Amino acid sequence: MRGRTSTRPSHRGARSALPAVLLVVVVVVTALVALVLTATGLMPLVGRPHLRSDAFAAVAPDLLVQARESLLVGVAATVVAVAVGFAVALLLLTTRSGSRALSVVVTVPIPVAHLVGAASFALLLTGSGLANRLFGSPPDQWPSLVGGPWPVAAVLAFAWKESAFVALVVTATLAENLTDYSEAAALLGASRFARVRHVVLPLSAPALIGAGTIVLLYTLGNYEVMWLLGRAYPETLPVAANRLFGSIDLTSRPGAAVTALATTGLALAAAAAAVPLVRRAGMAR
Amino acid sequence: MSRVGVRTRPTVDALGASRSRSQPSGRVGHVGRGLTALVALWFVLPLVPILLWALADQWNYPGVLPQRFGIRGWGAVANTDTLLALGRSAALGTGVAIVATVAGAAAGRAIGWRLVRRRGLLGVVLLAPVALPPFAVAMGLTPVLLRARVPETLGVAVVLSVFALPYTCYVFAAAYAGIDPALEDQARLLGATPRQALLRVTLPTLRPAIAAAAFLAFLVGWSDYIVTLVIGGGQLVTLPLLIAAAASGSGNEPVLAALSVVSVLPPVLALLIGRRLVGRRARGSLRASGDGDGDGDGDGYQLRSQALS
Repeated sequence: MRGRTSTRPSHRGARSALPAVLLVVVVVVTALVALVLTATGLMPLVGRPHLRSDAFAAVAPDLLVQARESLLVGVAATVVAVAVGFAVALLLLTTRSGSRALSVVVTVPIPVAHLVGAASFALLLTGSGLANRLFGSPPDQWPSLVGGPWPVAAVLAFAWKESAFVALVVTATLAENLTDYSEAAALLGASRFARVRHVVLPLSAPALIGAGTIVLLYTLGNYEVMWLLGRAYPETLPVAANRLFGSIDLTSRPGAAVTALATTGLALAAAAAAVPLVRRAGMAR
Repeated sequence: MSRVGVRTRPTVDALGASRSRSQPSGRVGHVGRGLTALVALWFVLPLVPILLWALADQWNYPGVLPQRFGIRGWGAVANTDTLLALGRSAALGTGVAIVATVAGAAAGRAIGWRLVRRRGLLGVVLLAPVALPPFAVAMGLTPVLLRARVPETLGVAVVLSVFALPYTCYVFAAAYAGIDPALEDQARLLGATPRQALLRVTLPTLRPAIAAAAFLAFLVGWSDYIVTLVIGGGQLVTLPLLIAAAASGSGNEPVLAALSVVSVLPPVLALLIGRRLVGRRARGSLRASGDGDGDGDGDGYQLRSQALS
């Protein structure tokens, strides 16, 4: 550690990354440790701390079905968002006329909070919503899209907001290098379909998988959309955790912590599963 | 489709390079317009109920349009409580924007200019918040903040800054990767201090990135509901809390709609102003500031940054 080492690139770099790293590490580690302590009874809201596992036993029977509901909504919303987002990106890259209008339309969901989007979907899709008013069927014959057996409204609300995200990520990625490859393929006689299949899809795969992963992780952890549009039973993990957390019965806090930890575990598992996919797509490119 | 074959904006027409040969332009025009209309419907239709309710005094089932237009909802929300909630949301958004933009710019410099050895690990740490459910982090932190007597507003702002950091870091890492570090070295050779080189050489080229990152981070603070609810315990009433309260009951549709429109306006204004400013300033120095498409209007940057929200 001689005089000049402090200005070596790695030191300067480490120093400038330090505030962000500290902020993330301190907040995330503190929160996760506190969740574990709360779940195990070592950090009770009132009373003396002592190690216990009854919170796990109390919520365990529900965790699986809540995780399944979370995954169902998350995966369905991700698939729709990625499919629609990719189609919109293709349209943005291929249409000349109207592409200006299209690029404005795609940004519509960006400044709209998920909460507002979900509220609007509720006003659109309930029995007395705008969609049914347009179709003109009696409210009791309208399928229960909001809070019904199938989370249609919730999936659509997520997909609506996130398809814009996917479309913009893919467009931004492709805009840089698609032209050259696609032109080369076209000159070599590739058909329109062949160009999409062998040029556009491989080029956009990393962006699609990356954006899809972010969408899935976001959906798994989201509370407000499922709170407004989801069904009463089974709840998703975040809705259940927040119900327990806000309960008047203070003893339900450990159960909330267990459910929050389960959500975190599920999200981290999904992230870990996606990493090899992202890597492989990046390499294939 | 009158411009088929005229390559004025190469990046927009990547797939249609030989379209004029393979397909008649009229058909493409119809299909293109039809698909564009479909996309417009997908993105705009879901907001129509909110927009109509914001202008409705009375809208009973099964009316397709309100029976009576008016501003009942707006009258109901024009009060001190809404104004205070607006102020709190704006303060939260601004606070998060400042913290996450400054910390993100510094970290993005380290990543974009490859100034750290273990960039992979650094990336994992800074991206970690993307994988973590915000409500879980807020739930874990709440009792700690209570015991440490940290004011709830500060707690909410710090947690939201953590969730904004992955986006700001990404924006700045991409922007720095597009700037040659030699620019700063040249300024230093000409006698500038490190601070002067940063402020006068690098920062001006970073303007689009700063605008994009600050906008994204502002959105995180401005539109958050669950972190504010959990840590604030319902005491810190921001605009999303008012919206959620209106959305959870029935019969409040005009109020819900008015509050929703109010919540969308500031980000829309910021987006429009940002787009104009970035578009104007970015001309001429686009390659240096990371606008990969190089078409001179900053679209690439806009797209990438908007995509992240």
